[in-house]
Amino acid sequence: MAKREAPEINAGSMADIAFLLLIFFLVTTTMDKDLAYLRTIPKKVENQEKQPPVQKKNIYKIVINSKQVIQARDSLIKPENIESLNSRIKHFYLVNRDKKENRALDYPYYAFGTKAAFQQKLDIAYNGLDAYESKDVLTERDEKIIEQFNNEIQEWNKKIEMIELYTKFSGKKEMPEIALQAHVRLESFIKTDYSAYVAVQSEVEKAVTELRDEESEALFNITYTAMKKYYQQNKLENTPKVREYRKYMDLIELLYPLRLIEVKPNR
Amino acid sequence: MSKFRKNDDKKAPGINTSSLPDIVFMLLFFFMVATTTKEVDPLVKVDPAQGVGLNDLTPFKQRSEVDFLYLGEPLSGDDEKFKDGIAVQYDGIIHKDGIEHIGKWKNDKFSSKPEEFTAPKEEVITCFKADEKVPMGIIFQARDILQEENFNSIGYYAREKGNKNGYNIRQQ
Repeated sequence: MAKREAPEINAGSMADIAFLLLIFFLVTTTMDKDLAYLRTIPKKVENQEKQPPVQKKNIYKIVINSKQVIQARDSLIKPENIESLNSRIKHFYLVNRDKKENRALDYPYYAFGTKAAFQQKLDIAYNGLDAYESKDVLTERDEKIIEQFNNEIQEWNKKIEMIELYTKFSGKKEMPEIALQAHVRLESFIKTDYSAYVAVQSEVEKAVTELRDEESEALFNITYTAMKKYYQQNKLENTPKVREYRKYMDLIELLYPLRLIEVKPNR
Repeated sequence: MSKFRKNDDKKAPGINTSSLPDIVFMLLFFFMVATTTKEVDPLVKVDPAQGVGLNDLTPFKQRSEVDFLYLGEPLSGDDEKFKDGIAVQYDGIIHKDGIEHIGKWKNDKFSSKPEEFTAPKEEVITCFKADEKVPMGIIFQARDILQEENFNSIGYYAREKGNKNGYNIRQQ
C-alpha cells in the first residue's frame, strides 16, 4: 500500500478558541480572596445566674462611639492614631508577665502553674467524683455535680498535657498563665461604622497574633499563623502533622488567649 | 541619495502567529488558577472595610462551611424602603424582612447541605460582607438571632490593608 501523508490540521483558529475561553474566565471569575475575622458568639444560657463582678484590672475596655472616636481604658484615640492600640494591647498582656512581685496593679496578674499543682487539682477532682459516684441514690443535683467533676478532670488532664509540652520545648518548669478573667471588652454604639469596628478588631487581632507568633517561633520554630493556615486547610484529614499542629496551637492559645467580649450596643 | 529611501517594491514580511495560541493558553491557565468563580451578583453596594491579619476563608469555602450575606445600600431602587437605608442580600435576593430573615435563611441553608457534610451547626460560619458605612446595630441584631439558633461562628468580612495606608474610617 502506498504510504499516504497525513493531512495537516489547520491550527490557525486555535488562538481564537483560546481567546474565547480566556475571555469567558475573565468575565466569570474574581481575583480577590474572601478574607474575614472569625469570631464566636457565646452559647446561649438558659437561666442567667448572677456572676461575680470581674476585677477592673482584668478588663481592657475599648469603646467606639457613633462618631468613630475610640476610648481605650482612660485615653481617647483619634481614628488616625488607631495603630497605637496595638502596643497598648501588647502592654496589657506583657506588663506583668514573668513577674511575681512588683506587679503593675492596674493590669492582669499571672499565675505560674506547675505540673505538681495541676496533678494535685486533678486528684482532688477524682476524689470528689468518687465520693459522689459511690452514692446509692443519685438526685438530679448529684448528676449535675458529677458532670461538673468530669469536665474538671478533662480540663486538668489537658492542662497537664500542655505543661508537659511547654516544659519539653522551653525547658521551664513553670508555665505563665494570664488571669482567667483577663479579657478585651469591645463596646460600640448602634450607629458605629462597620469600618471603625473592623479596624479595632484588626488591631486586637494583630497584637495578639504578633505575641503568639513570637512565642511560637521561640518554642517550635514555626509561626502560629503558618500552623493555623495549614490546620485550616487540612483539618479534616486526621494525619499526625495535623494533630501535632493542633496541640501546638492549643498551647500557644493557652499562653496568649484572645478573650474578646463584644458587647451589644444599646444606645 | 538617502539611506532611508522607501522601497516600495518590497512587501511587509508576514508575522509568524503560530505561537499565539501558546501565549493565550498560558494566560488562560493563569487566570483559571489564580481566580475564583463569582457566586452571586451583588445587588447591594459593598465597599469592604480594611484590616490586617485576616483569615483566608478559601479552605472553609471549599468545604462549604461558610455562608455569605451582603449588607449595604441597594444598587437599584430607593433605599428609603429599607431600615436605615441598608438592604440585606441573601444569596440572590434582597429580602423584605431585612436582617430578621437571617435565622430562617441559616436553617434552610443548613438543612440543604450535602450528606457528607460533617461540621456541626456551631461551626458553620456566617460571614457578614458589610459595607464600611453599615451601622453596627444591625450586625448585633443578627448576632442575637444567630445565638438563639445556635449558629455560633461568625466572620467580619474585610479587605487586606496595605502596611503603608491607614484605615479608612469616616470622620465626623
